[in-house]
Amino acid sequence: MSFYLSTIAVYFCVDLLAAWALNMQFGWAGIPNFAFILTQAAGAYMYAVVALGPSGGLTAFQHYILGASLPFPLPLLVAAGAGGVVALALGLITLRPLRRDYQAAVFLLFAVIASDVVSADVGLFNGSNGLAAVPQPFSSLQTTLGLGGYQWLYAGFTAVICLGGLSLVRGLGGSGWQRALRAARDDEAGARALGVNPAVLRLQVFFIGGMLAGLSGGLLVGFISAWSPGAWEYSETFAILTGIILGGVSNNWGVFVGTFLVQIAFQELTALFLPQIGYPGLSDALVWVVIGVLWLLVIYFRPRGILPERRTRMSTLQPSTSPEMSDAD
Amino acid sequence: MNSTILLQSIGFGITTAAVIAIGAMGFTLQLGVTNLLNLSFGNIMTLGAFASLIVERWHLGLVPTILAAPLVGAVASVLLARTLLAVFARRQNGAFELLMVTLAAGLIIEYTLDALAHLQVFQFQFPSGATVHLGPFVFTVLSLALIGAAALVLAALLAALHLTRLGKALRALSVDPKLARACGVPMRRMINLTWIVSGALAGLAGLVYVTNSLTISAGAGLNFLVLVIAAAILGGAGSPVGAVLAALVIGVATEVVAAFGGSYYSQAAGLAILALVLVLRPSTGMWSGPTRDEVTV
Amino acid sequence: MPTETSNLSATQMPSAPVLAASDICVRYGGVEAVAGASLTIPTPQVVGLIGPNGAGKSSLLAAIGGQSRAASGRVTFDGEDVTQLPPHQRARRGILRTFQTASVFDGLTVFENLLVAGLGDQGSRLRGALLRTPALHARERATAARAARVLEEFEISHIADHYGRELSGGQRRLVEIARCLMRSPKLLLLDEPMVGVAPHLVERIGEHCRAICERSVAILIVEHSMEVIGSICDRVVVMASGEVIDDGSFASVMKGESVREAYLA
Repeated sequence: MSFYLSTIAVYFCVDLLAAWALNMQFGWAGIPNFAFILTQAAGAYMYAVVALGPSGGLTAFQHYILGASLPFPLPLLVAAGAGGVVALALGLITLRPLRRDYQAAVFLLFAVIASDVVSADVGLFNGSNGLAAVPQPFSSLQTTLGLGGYQWLYAGFTAVICLGGLSLVRGLGGSGWQRALRAARDDEAGARALGVNPAVLRLQVFFIGGMLAGLSGGLLVGFISAWSPGAWEYSETFAILTGIILGGVSNNWGVFVGTFLVQIAFQELTALFLPQIGYPGLSDALVWVVIGVLWLLVIYFRPRGILPERRTRMSTLQPSTSPEMSDAD
Repeated sequence: MNSTILLQSIGFGITTAAVIAIGAMGFTLQLGVTNLLNLSFGNIMTLGAFASLIVERWHLGLVPTILAAPLVGAVASVLLARTLLAVFARRQNGAFELLMVTLAAGLIIEYTLDALAHLQVFQFQFPSGATVHLGPFVFTVLSLALIGAAALVLAALLAALHLTRLGKALRALSVDPKLARACGVPMRRMINLTWIVSGALAGLAGLVYVTNSLTISAGAGLNFLVLVIAAAILGGAGSPVGAVLAALVIGVATEVVAAFGGSYYSQAAGLAILALVLVLRPSTGMWSGPTRDEVTV
Repeated sequence: MPTETSNLSATQMPSAPVLAASDICVRYGGVEAVAGASLTIPTPQVVGLIGPNGAGKSSLLAAIGGQSRAASGRVTFDGEDVTQLPPHQRARRGILRTFQTASVFDGLTVFENLLVAGLGDQGSRLRGALLRTPALHARERATAARAARVLEEFEISHIADHYGRELSGGQRRLVEIARCLMRSPKLLLLDEPMVGVAPHLVERIGEHCRAICERSVAILIVEHSMEVIGSICDRVVVMASGEVIDDGSFASVMKGESVREAYLA
């Protein structure tokens, strides 16, 4: 039981990090990034190939690029960087003055094609079989702490990073930068006419969101030791989005609740506690059917989510003490 | 660069283009009239292909096998529009919100099919017939039939759009639905007709796709949809001719890239063209912004 | 009207023009919306831009604000050639505008709408959001205080916490103009600010325009109501078929033949 709980704790932290990152792009900036999962995948793959060591030898059963064995915190940084770079590249192509639904379709195309290419090209990240035997950080501790203890240690570490992510998201949350981003989301021409340059802001939010997503991918692969195209199908982005919209777009705690309900309570716990039905794989397929239905129900009955975006009141932004503030502009 | 291989791959490319074009014409027609980017289109293609597969297993002959796909596609398409999409359009008819609904519908169809098909990939063999030499290109009878079918669909669509009163009404609808309604265009009937035609083309495209890939699984439609959407967006919403031209470009590009070593990247080549156009395109026309946000399903 | 012009004090007398647009052409596809229009505006002055539908008024405004790129001609602002600059660069230099359909950020409160403008590009940088320096804090507080004052001046403090999507048509116009003021404009372009506004608010918006002008801001206003134009404008420019056909005081323009012809043509 404790083993499952620690596993789920790691998954939850990883999912939360990803959900907050996607919420920046989708909620604040209004960008329908259906290729979000690519940035998480980029982080996971890059973490794997810089932790696995050179291709060949012990890992001769799989082929991959680079192949280094960097000491622990470094692969995570590489993962974050990779996520950021992929997001930036994606953003440079797609963040154009395009109708929002067209843009969404283009993102989806990228997600599907990237999955096809990575699955087919064995030399890149070992194709559709994916990478396995990725070393866990400080795995020697497994002998001293036992597997259970090690799992809880990793969960704690992930939670700390997740809290770091939260403080970043909260810090950016009330800033002028975020407000300008939301303004450009609501009315691009109006924001530009006030001196805001939406193109730059959007690339920035793509980069930051991509870094967080890459980081989450790195944390995940460091824990489960394996990564393959099956782990990042386009529908994964959809699952994260379902959590965001169910909980409440642009509300950090709403995203928290929604992610817990969709990714953990629904996806993980049902898989754990419900008896296996039918042939192997049937329940997985059915889970996706239910996520689709859930999505429709949420946007029909509660489009603003369980915890709607909180109104920023003037009184919280305005200093009550100094009515004669100088006009320093 | 080996010119025989190049010419051969261009020949393949034209066949691939025909396959893409049939789907892209259905997609673009429906996009133009309803203004809805329908991401469940690929799943309707899969439904059509599965319908043909089942009929083929019953050994009813070639004609019922071929007819099953467009029939099921048309029914599924109009059902989707009249039930799910109509319900959501009554509440919120922003183009983006409804796109999300079609994505969810597609997800539901895909995984329901997957569950029903026991996650299997089915073989679906078509006799490809004798090879035919046409100038520098080599075709099979089957691929010529596909090209012929695409040409026929294009001709029929163009004739219907430009020569009949119905087509005029449809074109009016795609430019300005409010004005068209005010001028007495029978909206409901027109739109249902659009869903039926585009659904039939989706089903047919699914079948045609299978004759090329020889296998069918629940997830197949989405991969193919990628090229269909790329062609439809590249060609301009609502333009069958544009869709066919874009399909030609994408089809030839994918096959040429596949022939010259990058078979992994053949689909990516199609997307690369779209990406390139996005980066370089002029900032005018339907590309540039939210010209018409409301959707009429 | 003459009385309006005369209430400018000597120090505020029109000097070198803040805006000089010369031979502006704007084309959409094959249609020439503006065909070689020229216009100079000194500070402080309220200039009315009138003309029949399709005369090219909004297109000229767009060419000045940067929303449309002029096919030919020059836009000089504050002595600098801004013809090639994108709209956000022009806004940073002091050209602010409102839109024919009022632009309000629907997902932001009215107060936040003002803050977006007030903080400007300096206050909305990512670096600032990450570092949160004391200087930025001070700036944010000052902007918030100023936004509160502008809200009071426009008598819309009571809707400060309303979301943009919750406002009435008239409130949207007021918020849009107030938002422009937060950026300390040198030139304000108003595109039909009275459309869809309740009559008592029309008067108020007019008063605000005069008050803004007193602070050394030049205003170019597109408006159909001659009553409004006559009551707030120092000068009237008439456009027809993409060209400027008359330019002068309200009274002289009204007396001239060209206006009547333009509207009857």
